[in-house]
Amino acid sequence: MRPFALNYARPAQELEASVPYAYDSRLQLNVLPDGRIAAHDYAVLRELGATTSTAGSKTHFDD
Amino acid sequence: MTVLILTCEQDVTADMVVARLDGTGVPVVRLDPADLPGGVALSGEYVHGTFRGHLSAGGRLVSMSALRSVWVRRPGVPATRVAEASAWLTEESTQAFYGMLRSTGARWMNHPDAARRARHKPWQLHLAQRSGLPVPATTITTFPQAARDFAERFPDLVVKPVSGAHPQEPPRAVPTSRVAPETDFSAVAFGPTLLQRRVAKRADIRLTCVGDRLFAARKPVGPDADPDEVDVRFAVSTAPWHPVETPPRIAASVHRYLQDAQLAYGAFDFAEDADGIWWFLECNQSGQFGFVEIETNQPIAGAVADWLSAPGPDPAISNGQLHFTECPG
Repeated sequence: MRPFALNYARPAQELEASVPYAYDSRLQLNVLPDGRIAAHDYAVLRELGATTSTAGSKTHFDD
Repeated sequence: MTVLILTCEQDVTADMVVARLDGTGVPVVRLDPADLPGGVALSGEYVHGTFRGHLSAGGRLVSMSALRSVWVRRPGVPATRVAEASAWLTEESTQAFYGMLRSTGARWMNHPDAARRARHKPWQLHLAQRSGLPVPATTITTFPQAARDFAERFPDLVVKPVSGAHPQEPPRAVPTSRVAPETDFSAVAFGPTLLQRRVAKRADIRLTCVGDRLFAARKPVGPDADPDEVDVRFAVSTAPWHPVETPPRIAASVHRYLQDAQLAYGAFDFAEDADGIWWFLECNQSGQFGFVEIETNQPIAGAVADWLSAPGPDPAISNGQLHFTECPG
């Protein structure tokens, strides 16, 4: 009884890895431990894949 | 007049826009409806023929009549990060929160009604056709025989979820996948199945649209690419995204699509074939753009910030209450 499309399913990659930044509610931005704004550090964002399409996301699927 | 951003805390793509807005002097309130009630609070009155409402989050208080725009980015479901979450409380909080926001004259990116409709892939295909975009032959069916007939007419097929959603418990992803010849289609009877003619692509195109501004990026398919890996999100590739010009005919069709869909933002995916034709795959009404900006330097976050900070609601719609935003000292 498995739908056809699920024959092509694969384990989802969890993107819950720890990130080196934390949300600062005063700035309304995520900041790195040294106080820099995370969004300005493209190397960090690229490494984490934090801004890419998130196939398999639990909450958002229109990426 | 304030920009309201609805998203989760870990959304660093939203950060790219918040950082842009910070330099403009435009007040910003960012919150996650998941924190309502608690970290997010609201109040509204319908008295003497007018509505006046307020929102607070993170020590900021804003009048709803002072909202110039609402960006629905990656909001959590209301009342899901509270101490005693329940389906009832979520429904109550959803109705109160979005119901009041709908009572304002703020501009939306994107309005929840338009967003909900725009997520339907079958409707996307219809609208793309109506807008003049090339759409690969597609069927959505629960008839195994219809799938077999379609496979006879279009032997090189891919399958993808109708909704784009991925199953949980356990978490799995269902990438766009190539359907092998002689595949048994019996299981089509157990769920609506979307089959589409595979476009032999030489590149993926991501066209990000912000208002009437278009940012097209192209990622070539490598000569050694696995032909069975058709989903760019899963394909192993080191090829970068590059900015490209949007063909005028595509631009006109995309504008028509967004206008008919009543979307202020959309991220279109196309497959470019050997003849250079951009085949419409889907339009993600809340699609990611950070990875494109990082690789291409296209100023997408700036365009979003510009759209959000443009002049506020129609005064005839606004209720004329005193506008104020309080920020923490």
